[in-house]
Amino acid sequence: MLYLELLFQGIVQGSIYALIALGLTLVYGLLRILHVAHAALFTLGGYIGVIVTNQTGSLALAILAAMIVVGLVGVAMYKLAYEPLLSKPPFIALIASIALFIAAEELFRIIFGPYGLSYENPPLQGGFEIISGFFLKYGEALVIILSILILSVLGWVSGYTRLGVSWRATVTDPDMARAFGVNTQHVRYLNFFIGSALAAVAGVLVALLNNLVEPTMGSVPSYKALAIIVLGGLGSIRGTLLASMILGVIESFGTIYIGHLLDRDALAFGFLIVVLMFRPQGLLGTR
Amino acid sequence: MLKVENLSAGYGDIIAVRDLSFSLERGQVLAFLGANGAGKSSTLMCLMGLVEQKSGTIKMDGRDITATKVEARISSGLAIVPEGRRIFPDLSVHENLIVGGHVVSAKIMTDGIDYVYTVYPRLAERRNQAAGSLSGGEQQMLAMGRALISQPQLLIVDELSLGLMPKVVDECYAVLQTLKQNNIGVLLVEQNTERALSVADKIRVLEAGNLTWSGSATDAKNNNSLRQSLMGIS
Repeated sequence: MLYLELLFQGIVQGSIYALIALGLTLVYGLLRILHVAHAALFTLGGYIGVIVTNQTGSLALAILAAMIVVGLVGVAMYKLAYEPLLSKPPFIALIASIALFIAAEELFRIIFGPYGLSYENPPLQGGFEIISGFFLKYGEALVIILSILILSVLGWVSGYTRLGVSWRATVTDPDMARAFGVNTQHVRYLNFFIGSALAAVAGVLVALLNNLVEPTMGSVPSYKALAIIVLGGLGSIRGTLLASMILGVIESFGTIYIGHLLDRDALAFGFLIVVLMFRPQGLLGTR
Repeated sequence: MLKVENLSAGYGDIIAVRDLSFSLERGQVLAFLGANGAGKSSTLMCLMGLVEQKSGTIKMDGRDITATKVEARISSGLAIVPEGRRIFPDLSVHENLIVGGHVVSAKIMTDGIDYVYTVYPRLAERRNQAAGSLSGGEQQMLAMGRALISQPQLLIVDELSLGLMPKVVDECYAVLQTLKQNNIGVLLVEQNTERALSVADKIRVLEAGNLTWSGSATDAKNNNSLRQSLMGIS
């Protein structure tokens, strides 16, 4: 029973990682920018989630609001910070991104205070018994269900609609996509909107599981999501999903069995180092 | 159908083609000949709206499309088969064709895809295969097919025969003949002078961005010194 519980814990954590890291992969795939400030959007999502839930009592509304607001903030970030730097070498955008991330953490501290916020009436408390003796919290179930739902919709859009096909064409060869009339500028906006909205969902869900949002809650996810997209193979969406799940499960089992030697985050990076020694291109990378 | 006057185009401060004028009617093939770097590809890309136009006008069926976006140019009947094919390797054959129909209605796109599958049955067989796994010849077919989805009036073809086996080049030129018969205009850039002369009605020769010779394909065939100089550089 312990194994099953650990596996589910890992899947929950992996789903969260997937929601965060996907946005990073989308941005890297399209623009070759390591979007470190993405984790600030995750934190912002958490804040909006808690504030809207506390004001309205509706978690669904909070998730929706977080997705829309954070999606738009993500587009603004692209427009103001990255677009002017696109012709410059990629490390310049990376530096800008790190600066944005630090500035955002300080902004959260100034606006929302240094001690963090919690849900006044935490929604989805308690859990249910899946099989005898094995319980899953409602919040954890929501994480899994929402992730499957969102990723299925995204998968369907990118695989089976004209919009999705044009978007993938733009990722592969922007100039050629433009030659067939694809508005590559709109594709970039859409890319940032979707990626940021996913991070916002993750933020709301983490805030729900921990019943806490604080200014620095994006710090660990910021570098862990970078590790995940490298592990998956830079720019590979399937690789990102796979790496998120593997990392989630490894952390979950590892903290129990070798947690006394290595802490959770060290475990994740140890795994990254080992994989990259044998597959420098990442799990599903091509180069 | 297409009327280009005093076109200059380039990249930033660099002028790739200067003061070029030409016109083309439906069912005609106009071939640009000349060495690498003569400005042929830049001319084609500029017509599509993908290279910056410095001066001059481009008219399609009397309508000025000089300052319009790529989408509008496709709607007015232009489509491109780019140099090096530039298919989307990660996308399936079918998805490549869908991108070709990005600006047209779903109906025109579906009809276009059906038409391409009739012309190139091999693409239909491989519709779900990743385009990057096709042979060079099949990729060229796909690049042609992708451009035909929007039902263009004028097909812009850059380096059709480059890197292909002679048999495949034959097939590609057979398709150009069919397009001519269907009253579609073709603008062709081609390193292979003999091939170009076999299908073209009009010839324009570019050197270092300037037009140095213009005339009919028949005149070009009979002009030995021109043929020799083109052979020398091709």
